[in-house]
Amino acid sequence: MSEDTPDFSNVESGSSSTATKIYEVVSGDSLSKIAKREYGNANEWKRIYEANRDILKDPDKIYPGQKLKIPPA
Amino acid sequence: MNRKHTLAVLAALTLVLSACGKKEEAPKPEAAPAPAPAPAPAPAPAGVAVSTISLGSAIGADKKVTQAGDAFSKKDTIYASVDTTGTGTAILKAKWTYRKNGQETLVKEETQTIVPTGPATSEFHISKPDGWPAGDYQVEIFVGDKSAGTKTFAVK
Repeated sequence: MSEDTPDFSNVESGSSSTATKIYEVVSGDSLSKIAKREYGNANEWKRIYEANRDILKDPDKIYPGQKLKIPPA
Repeated sequence: MNRKHTLAVLAALTLVLSACGKKEEAPKPEAAPAPAPAPAPAPAPAGVAVSTISLGSAIGADKKVTQAGDAFSKKDTIYASVDTTGTGTAILKAKWTYRKNGQETLVKEETQTIVPTGPATSEFHISKPDGWPAGDYQVEIFVGDKSAGTKTFAVK
């Protein structure tokens, strides 16, 4: 890395909204992990589960590519 | 030719002629599938538009900046708060860049898909555990692939 080009590889980012968000499940996700990332609290997974009861029959079974509604925090 | 013979010939001719005149019964066509219903018109493109972009070092629960500014210290978390109007599904993207001597270096990109039902506020934030290099930065906000505005700021 040259002196003129700072290293931004460790920059952390995030986002949130007052609107419902759509989140696409990736490999290794669980509702708890998504809740932790979106709300800062893994115990909030039930909110995500309730908002997606139309496509989720079992909270332990989510699949990569599924698009989940994330209610605003 | 006797009369009996003549009648027989006439009967045969009549049969042949009537057979020729008979139309071949066309096979019954398979029941045609019902025509597919016309597709429903596609929903109107998402009418989400950015109305305001604000920068700051803190936000409230409403996602609006509580400490606005365009100059930050090295350890700040930098927030871009984006007000939108309209409804529909929209992909918002924040592209953060560092600018020096006319060169642009990508710092981070972040996207979120939102489904607002009215005016909404979304935020993007970045932080750097070992501190931001001093200099000039910019954040550009996109709705889909269309730029919706930029904000420049500095780290001192």
